[in-house]
Amino acid sequence: MNHALRRVSFACLAMFLLLLANANYVQGFESGKLAGDPGNGRTFALQYQYQRGSIITADNQPIAESKHIGGVYSYQRSYPSGPAYAPVTGYDTPYRKTGIEGAEDRLLAGTDPRLAVRNLIDLVTGKPRRGATVQLTINSAAQQAAYKALKASGMPSAAVAIDPRTGAILALASYPSFNPNKLATLNGTALNKADQKYLSSPQQPLLNRAINETFPPGSTFKIVTGSTAFSTGKYTPDSRYYAPTNLKLPGTTNQLINFDNTPCNDGSNPSGNGTVPLIYAFAVSCNTVYGGLGEHLGGAKLRRQANAFGMNRPLRIPLPVSPSNYPPVSNPDYTAYSAIGQYNDTVTPLQEAMFAAAIANHGTLMRPYLVQKVIAPNLTPLVTTQPSVLSQAVTPGVATDVGRMMFDVVNQPWGTAHDIAPDLPGIKVAAKTGTAQNGANNTGLDDAVFTSFAPYGNPQIAVGVVVKGGGLGADASAPIAVQIIKAYMNYLHSSPKR
Amino acid sequence: MRATGNGTGTTGAVTPAPGLAGSLLLPRGRRGAELIMLTFSIGVVLFAYANVGLGLNGHVPTGLATYGVLFAVLMLGAHLAIRKLAPWADPLLLPLAALLNGLGLVMIYRLQESGRHGNPGNAISTMSASTTTFQLMWSAIGVIAFVAVLLVIREPRTLQRYTYTLGAIGLVLLALPALLPNSISEVPGTGAKIQIALGGFSIQPEEFAKLALAVFFAGYLVAKRDVLALAGRHILGIALPRARDMGPVLIAWGASLLVLVFESDIGTSALFFGLFLIMLYIATQRTSWLLIGTSLFLVGAWAASKLVAHVGVRFAIWLHPTLFNNVFCGSPGVHGSCVPSYQLAQGLYGLGFGGVLGTGLGHGQPYLTPLVQSDFIITAFGEELGLTGLMALLLIYGLIVQRGLRAAIAVRDPFSKLLAGGLAFVVALQVFVIVGGVTQLIPLTGITTPFLSQGGSSLVASWMLIALLMRISDTARRPAPQPIQDEGMTQVVRAI
Repeated sequence: MNHALRRVSFACLAMFLLLLANANYVQGFESGKLAGDPGNGRTFALQYQYQRGSIITADNQPIAESKHIGGVYSYQRSYPSGPAYAPVTGYDTPYRKTGIEGAEDRLLAGTDPRLAVRNLIDLVTGKPRRGATVQLTINSAAQQAAYKALKASGMPSAAVAIDPRTGAILALASYPSFNPNKLATLNGTALNKADQKYLSSPQQPLLNRAINETFPPGSTFKIVTGSTAFSTGKYTPDSRYYAPTNLKLPGTTNQLINFDNTPCNDGSNPSGNGTVPLIYAFAVSCNTVYGGLGEHLGGAKLRRQANAFGMNRPLRIPLPVSPSNYPPVSNPDYTAYSAIGQYNDTVTPLQEAMFAAAIANHGTLMRPYLVQKVIAPNLTPLVTTQPSVLSQAVTPGVATDVGRMMFDVVNQPWGTAHDIAPDLPGIKVAAKTGTAQNGANNTGLDDAVFTSFAPYGNPQIAVGVVVKGGGLGADASAPIAVQIIKAYMNYLHSSPKR
Repeated sequence: MRATGNGTGTTGAVTPAPGLAGSLLLPRGRRGAELIMLTFSIGVVLFAYANVGLGLNGHVPTGLATYGVLFAVLMLGAHLAIRKLAPWADPLLLPLAALLNGLGLVMIYRLQESGRHGNPGNAISTMSASTTTFQLMWSAIGVIAFVAVLLVIREPRTLQRYTYTLGAIGLVLLALPALLPNSISEVPGTGAKIQIALGGFSIQPEEFAKLALAVFFAGYLVAKRDVLALAGRHILGIALPRARDMGPVLIAWGASLLVLVFESDIGTSALFFGLFLIMLYIATQRTSWLLIGTSLFLVGAWAASKLVAHVGVRFAIWLHPTLFNNVFCGSPGVHGSCVPSYQLAQGLYGLGFGGVLGTGLGHGQPYLTPLVQSDFIITAFGEELGLTGLMALLLIYGLIVQRGLRAAIAVRDPFSKLLAGGLAFVVALQVFVIVGGVTQLIPLTGITTPFLSQGGSSLVASWMLIALLMRISDTARRPAPQPIQDEGMTQVVRAI
């Protein structure tokens, strides 16, 4: 039996060697991968033993910071004015990391390779690891004004403001929002409860409506249709175009009508059978004119122009942005619908801001971005975002033409957004309103859409607003944009640095 | 390999030449060496115990003197009993067992203290503030059982008389939890029916069944090994047994499958079947038994993974323990297909968190792993003592196995040889199954980690197992009696 016993000894040796080799693999080689696992509560707790970096606005207001509280979890994350900035900061739980907390996690946590040398120095000098500070492009005045105005509307809504010259996002707000402080707890039961409450809420507070929900653009899409027309070189804002009261769509019994089923009449077309200038049709938002124009230009041209405005593709700002869609029009009979922002067109509020931003910046659409720079714990800048061009939406000439039409929307007595002109003394705004029909057979409430830039001669801010179920764009969304523009312009005037 | 028993001492009747064994092979009992090593073991344990307090809250634990003295007295008592009862026994086994038992106590104390008395971490709800005291009490019972085994069984061969009695006891112990209602036998939250719990006090009879069945297998196989080894045909160079000799293998296989199905406990099932197979192999030296047995087990396990949901889930967990969906399976916001691998994933995170050198006792977060004090205690060691500590523990187990196999090879009588070989192997297999399970080497099956896990049955049974090995090694190393006269025909033959 000793022969068999010796063989059994070898089998036992083999079993122990396997265990030893596997332990070496798991603890020696896999530990890094295990540490980076999203479900790893140990490293999650560990990050509370170090000071996670702050997130601050462009004007140095902290919107996420870690405060020393003592104990095993030495640092508590807090979000001053949490709900207003929640779509930007996001939150950081073992379940999920969203917003900037997720997108810039490694820099905030201090584990990014770009911080490795500094971490090593800290290790040698005995200093605890610290995360980098992320400075955003967000302007606190614009952001607070945006959230306050959205909240006042009481409806699901979102607003985005961009600096058209750089693409820097000045405000990005969504309502209903959530309080990230409730998710910054280390009490597992409380965290689970808060998480569950937010997830199951029918109001969807965790949804970032500014970049992750799309709405029909409605008449704001006439910017794209107009741009397409002017880009052909055959049209100017003063070109006259057929303006029927009802536009019969080919191949169907459907008719396209103007809002309230009235003729498009600048005084020269009382019968609803003549023509009007495109700039007039734009200012009063005639569906039949732009529907007919779009049908004449064709779906393919409209889609190319929509792509040039940044549609039909995902973006990272660095938060992931849902694509705004102008899908290929499968049935040409409906091209007219798609040309006035109905049918299958959908856009994010960010895209609304991008429409105006491209026109404001002489046709050049800058890539939207949220992170201005990342500052290492020793206050040296680590990363600084340089503005870059996303696309050339239209030529500067076309941009001037479309801008002129948008100017009329606010500044002519017949413009759909003329009511807001007195609210902004001394600031000339250019804009386009939209009132988008919704739901099967348009049973849903209309979405109020608005895109704008200001000041007209020297654009510094472009704002897109969508209020779901808000009704008229001019009534529900335009005042929100006014609040944002006013707050930002006031900030610029009062700030000595700018 | 043809088995004949020539020159391997298997005939059991060889009496060595007088004086030869004594002078050349095994000169001394080496009890002094045992005492020095035992003192070292106790020192390591006391140091670790103090370390826990210093790591948790910067103070030496107040119970250090009480616990330390009790533990030292217990182990020194065991040493004195060995001097009296088994003076020739292997000197390494007691210090190794004492070190494991002591470190287990230290880790249980560390886990119990977590989140209590203002210490960092969460309190482990499945432990109470007196868990360590209970575990120390069980250690005392274990040492008493250890001494009792040495006292009652003065000669390992006497056990052979009780082959069938112990076989019946073993089967009853094994089957008992399956027959009892779930309220008594099910371990809460695991679905495994492996215990007898009455009034807050529970024992796991399988731990004792393991010992009884090892004795039964040894007795049965020694009696039947010739027919199992010799009869049969050779096909493709493998000696195949006769169909009628397959009976015992099939019965053992059937029994292990029944354990699996009725107690949902693949670990115990694998342990018993593996024990039987390896003893069958040692007895017959026929590789064909191993091949037949292993194939049978794999077929059974595969079928069970398809038929018994509990087993199938374990297999799925093994493949993807740290998949996000799996870790937070059932949590809000986690949708899609998932299997609940929270415990295994937390254990692996703990091991990874410990890395090569570990966090140090009291500095890790082992309390994040559910039931870390029982099946997953090895991950707590891996986290706080690191890869270094985990490997040291594995080497301690390896040494115990090696000393057991050494006793098996040295002992002359085939029954003792088979018993020692089986017991040593079962320690190796148990460590392999549980440590391999929690480190994702093999699918996880919940069995205890000998000496370390919280719980009395496993600890007491482990001490009894060590006692049996020491008794066998004592027999093996005991020098043959010297002849009374220098010349003449008379020779003393030890009574059996």
